[in-house]
Amino acid sequence: MIMDASRPLLQGKGITKRFGGLTALSGVDFHVERGEILGLIGPNGSGKTTLFNVISGLLRPEEGRLSFHGRDITNLAPHKRARLGIGRTFQIVRPLATMTVAQNVATAVLYGREGIAGFREAEERAHYILSFTGLSEKADRLPSELGLGERKRLEIARALALHPEIILLDEVFAGLNPAEISQAIDLTFRIKEAFGATIFMIEHVMKAVMGTCSRIIVLNFGTKIAEGSPREVASHPEVISAYLGAAYAGN
Amino acid sequence: MKKVPLIMAVLTVAVLALFPLLRPEVYYLSFLFTLFMYVVLSSSWNVIGGYAGYLSFGHAAFFGIGAFATAKMATAFSLSPLLTILSSIPAGLLAALVALIVGYPCLRIRGPYFSVVTICFAFVVDLAVKNIEELGGAEGLWMTFMDLPEETSRAIMYEVMLLLMVVTLATVYLLGRSRFGRGLTAVRTDEEVAETMAIPTAKLKIQAFVVSAFFPGVAGGLFAYYLSYIHPDAVFSINISILIVLMAMFGGGGTWLGPIVGAVILTVVNEGLSTFAQAEIARIIYGALFIIVTIFMPDGIIAYFRRWATAQRKA
Repeated sequence: MIMDASRPLLQGKGITKRFGGLTALSGVDFHVERGEILGLIGPNGSGKTTLFNVISGLLRPEEGRLSFHGRDITNLAPHKRARLGIGRTFQIVRPLATMTVAQNVATAVLYGREGIAGFREAEERAHYILSFTGLSEKADRLPSELGLGERKRLEIARALALHPEIILLDEVFAGLNPAEISQAIDLTFRIKEAFGATIFMIEHVMKAVMGTCSRIIVLNFGTKIAEGSPREVASHPEVISAYLGAAYAGN
Repeated sequence: MKKVPLIMAVLTVAVLALFPLLRPEVYYLSFLFTLFMYVVLSSSWNVIGGYAGYLSFGHAAFFGIGAFATAKMATAFSLSPLLTILSSIPAGLLAALVALIVGYPCLRIRGPYFSVVTICFAFVVDLAVKNIEELGGAEGLWMTFMDLPEETSRAIMYEVMLLLMVVTLATVYLLGRSRFGRGLTAVRTDEEVAETMAIPTAKLKIQAFVVSAFFPGVAGGLFAYYLSYIHPDAVFSINISILIVLMAMFGGGGTWLGPIVGAVILTVVNEGLSTFAQAEIARIIYGALFIIVTIFMPDGIIAYFRRWATAQRKA
């Protein structure tokens, strides 16, 4: 693949996704720079997860183009995007229930970007990732035996197993207690350092967003309404109106 | 495989291979031939139906394609008995090719829709064969028998089917423990998640379907030669398709041992009932057995006894 440092790692232009009469995304432009932690926020139903589904290829947009490293990936199958280095987690966790925690991760290693085809090597790699995400002790358990926080970390571990260049984190902080949130924030930074992965995260927990992201994109009703540093976004009138109602925006 | 089970498997195969030397009655050889054949059919089906979770209800089509391809090759080229047996291999390849072509569109459909499409596929193949004059039409094809005493010819066919069973089981075993098998398990569990794990699900499913069609195709070829007369109703019957699925699910789909156990139990029960009970009563008992297993052991016998064994150990 041709690496072009001047181009953003991931770029979307005019992404439009409709479900019947509902326009979930309308003409969204975005770009993710290599090495940043980019946040994606917006009220419920604003199209955040839809955008992630479009990026990971589970949904095809009606209009717009997506490019990764400058290469057009708009019509690429999801598994090819994953293989190129786009990893993701699911907001509502979806572990492979028939496999143990370690097998979930090792399977992703076997098919991921590292090209490890041997079982032993894949298992070693999986155990490294499990210890990184704090799941070593649960390696031989089934996902059904894990707590929610652990399942969220399993989602992250499975995405990391692909050795992604960019990882899409879909609300990995939701439903966690304050102690777990601190751990997860710490984990987010460590992912960036240890795996050199760029992070694009959807988040509702403001503490997590403000504390980790260098830049934030705000969606409302499928349209991008703001973009900038956490501070800029937090004081943006349209953002305040989207979250708190128009009456507050003027004050 | 761990050492003890491997030794047990080798011993079982050795005993079965030496069995004809005891000069048993032809009946027993025929019975075991059928049993081996169903183990081949249900274990192959397990690759797509069990591992990948795509319940094909049309697998008799591949069995029948293999049977007719072999019969046609044998009659058209007046093949010698040895070559006829060997021609079941290209017949299996033909079944695999058909699976490749049919699988491409069909495997895009999931769940019960896929099952329905495979049933239709089997009907279409059945009808097509019945309407092709060159394949004997509705009258079927006759093949020449081996010029040997019945005991010897039956013993040869027994050994060949045993060999096919061993090859099939070894292949399915290795596939199940490979990267490919892991990928199929991911497909069965959550296909969308599998895609996001960089697993090329469409390719894996087609490969699984092709493998699961090849061995039944070969088995069909051997069966045709064994019967020496082949008729569409004997190989394309939906009953065969259903029986293959039932055997695998009865023992436990998605496990290596499940289809073997299911095929052995159901073939033995079927044979026992047809020998010792009236046909009507036999059907009722057979049906009741299924209802009981479905209610009390929905994951199959293997899973049930594993859970039972674990519970015993804990108690």
